[in-house]
Amino acid sequence: MSEVRNREAQEAVERASAYEWGFTSDIEQEFAPKGLSEDTIRYISARKSEPRWMLDWRLKAYRAWLEMEEVTWAKLAIPPIDFQNAYYFAEPKQKPELKSLDELDPEIRRTYEKLGIPIEEQKVLAGVAGARKVAVDAVFDSVSVATTFREELSKAGVIFLSISEAIREHPELVRKYLGSVVPQRDNFYACLNSAVFSDGTFVYIPEGVRCPMELSTYFRINAANTGQFERTLIVADKDSYVSYLEGCTAPMRDENQLHAAVVELVALDDAEIKYSTVQNWYPGDAEGKGGIYNFVTKRGACRGARSKISWTQVETGSAITWKYPSCILQGEGSVGEFYSVALTNNFQQADTGTKMIHIGRNSRSTIVSKGISAGRSNNTYRGLVRVLAGAENVRNFTQCDSLLLGDRCGAHTVPYIEVRNPSAQIEHEATTSKISDDQLFYAMSRGLSREDAVALIVNGFAREVLQQLPMEFAVEAQKLLGISLEGSVG
Amino acid sequence: MTALLLPSNRDEAWRWSDVSALPEIAARQGLGTIPEALPWIDCALPGPRLLFVDGRFVAERSDPGVVAVGPAGVDPGGHALGRLAGREGWRLRLGRDHAPQGLVQIVHVASGGADHLAAEIVLDEDAQASVVETFVGDGWANRLSGIILFRGARLMLARRVLAAAGFVSLTDRATVGEGASLVATALAGGGADTRLDATIRLAGEGAYAEAGGALLARARQRHDANLVVAHDLPSGMSRQVWRSVASDRAACSVAARVEVARAAQKTDAAQSLKGLLLDRGATINAKPELEIFADDVKCAHGATVGELDRDALFYLRSRGVPEAEAKALLTRAFVADALARIGEEAVREAFEADAEDWFLNPSPLAREGGARREAVGG
Repeated sequence: MSEVRNREAQEAVERASAYEWGFTSDIEQEFAPKGLSEDTIRYISARKSEPRWMLDWRLKAYRAWLEMEEVTWAKLAIPPIDFQNAYYFAEPKQKPELKSLDELDPEIRRTYEKLGIPIEEQKVLAGVAGARKVAVDAVFDSVSVATTFREELSKAGVIFLSISEAIREHPELVRKYLGSVVPQRDNFYACLNSAVFSDGTFVYIPEGVRCPMELSTYFRINAANTGQFERTLIVADKDSYVSYLEGCTAPMRDENQLHAAVVELVALDDAEIKYSTVQNWYPGDAEGKGGIYNFVTKRGACRGARSKISWTQVETGSAITWKYPSCILQGEGSVGEFYSVALTNNFQQADTGTKMIHIGRNSRSTIVSKGISAGRSNNTYRGLVRVLAGAENVRNFTQCDSLLLGDRCGAHTVPYIEVRNPSAQIEHEATTSKISDDQLFYAMSRGLSREDAVALIVNGFAREVLQQLPMEFAVEAQKLLGISLEGSVG
Repeated sequence: MTALLLPSNRDEAWRWSDVSALPEIAARQGLGTIPEALPWIDCALPGPRLLFVDGRFVAERSDPGVVAVGPAGVDPGGHALGRLAGREGWRLRLGRDHAPQGLVQIVHVASGGADHLAAEIVLDEDAQASVVETFVGDGWANRLSGIILFRGARLMLARRVLAAAGFVSLTDRATVGEGASLVATALAGGGADTRLDATIRLAGEGAYAEAGGALLARARQRHDANLVVAHDLPSGMSRQVWRSVASDRAACSVAARVEVARAAQKTDAAQSLKGLLLDRGATINAKPELEIFADDVKCAHGATVGELDRDALFYLRSRGVPEAEAKALLTRAFVADALARIGEEAVREAFEADAEDWFLNPSPLAREGGARREAVGG
């Protein structure tokens, strides 16, 4: 069956050259039958040898999902999605248990190389002295195929596993936290994810541990017609610290692909989680054909006193982005941060922002959002700052800036402020501007091409956010901004 | 009365609204009593005066002048409350270069029940008018106003809601032509709940619009303003200045949107939404929204929510000003920003005095809790 499916899938792929990373690799895949039903969910659960409670959890979500409706409030024109016309499970057929990436299927390795993934990781794998340590849990389509550095991490007591493994090996932790930040019924896409999530990452940092390296997962959508439904759960126990990097590129696809991930973060007393994302999925071509539909639910709970969750995102990809990394600031003195650059070009649509829910006393939050619109795209910042009546001395500062390149795109700002405690200090500022002719003229008089000048100015505009990223990511992100703007200037 | 079809909180434009008191008020009958004293503003030049009690024109207490009483043609554009307004009401139509003498004053008295009125203001090229509407009494006054300003026309429109209890809903649909100017200010300073809706289109080059006001709420009152300023053509300018004060368990909400169309290059739009919370349990909601499709524009908004500046309070206390007075002083200064936009001195002074009254003499009905008349906890 899989052979036939595979061919069918491969045939659906239209190879085009505009997208640098638009290639597909020939790795044998096994698919769950197309479409979504309780049987699909039982199949996924069985294939992953999940315990009964997990299957029940999925089925409960599925039944809830059947009664839910798609989200319509975002400033997005979403073509109707046929949820039955998609594969909900695909995994590489050869499923090696590897100690290192060297033992990986060479085809997968080549895929990574084309993606430019192994910047630092390759060096580390090759044993290059002094290379920065980054642990990679690679999600190739839906199943983790390699986890590196497990030993060093386990020495520190850090659990860094695919979520399927975690369900088997640490069911007590997964049961305790899964769905505790993003409940199954939170929204249509999160509910779908709860029912069919194929794989993802689980991280647990024990009390008092500073994670010895940055943790990193590369997501990659590979097989045609496969929705991706990762599930990420990161728990930072008391007084611990972890920095997690998520980066993604997806190969060229002619038809639109659905992606509905859920990320849950939990920070206990004095813990800190730094979560950085560079999202560069296929945005569709210059005519607006194809591209990924990205409906992501990301939420962190600052449960402990003085805990901190910091989201940084650079969003340049996807045809449709629907994403609001949020913080629930329950702990006294907890801190939430959101730094975002969202760039849209051609026919891309992005509706992204954050929610800061202040529940704990003395909690603070900072929001810095930079939206860049070019081509015929639409870019919306949508955010909520809510201060509950019991939350004394809350501070929030929000800055949303929009930059328009050209007169056929749109830049929108939709902030919600809801305050119920008089001791709160909430400030929100927003501006909209374009690149001034003076700036361009100056940069070009110094010998830069028009395109480089624009890229330079855009990078300057986004600097506050980019400098929040870990270094390798910052470099990659800067390049991405330039690449994503190609063709939009002139 | 047939069943009222009211919007729910699930509707984005009614997210923070509470219209639950309306069916009950709509079922009541007004007593039709005309108060002895009416809140006319004294001006050097007496202008047209119109009195409506429960939506009925009271000719013997009015002097309509250029204002006509009768049907007004306003398209409610599907607005949930505006479409209830019907056609009866008043019209102010001014020919080219005309301006009525003095201030046009309209007083609306509610005596317990619900009433609906439409109004039409059409100013031809370079015509000019100043209109003040005042709402008093107890009931539900529902108004729909259509405003058209042709090239170079100027309208100052000021509304004050001083009603002791009940609900006042105003729905404005305005079109501002080339180089024309609309300055609309609202003061919600009584004990009634309010819903203030406005859609202002800047449909000519260089059109100018200001829309703002002061919302003062206590007990369980709710004020809810929902505005759209749409820039359709180049070089328009708009300002939205809102100041909200909420105490006890009251809530003030302002959702203000600026829309800039593709053609509206060189737009200059600014929003300033500020909220002041005087008690725990009170709520300020704000949604300063921008929707921009043109690149050569200057659009900015700022929003802040907080309590009175502690340093300023401390300073005043240290100068011997009693705490209550110091708070009132600072709160007044906060609100003054929004009322300062009113150009006519007599009107501005009247509005400032009403705000002052609100601070000094909370009406007993307001203390009992606005439209819902619930007991207040603290």
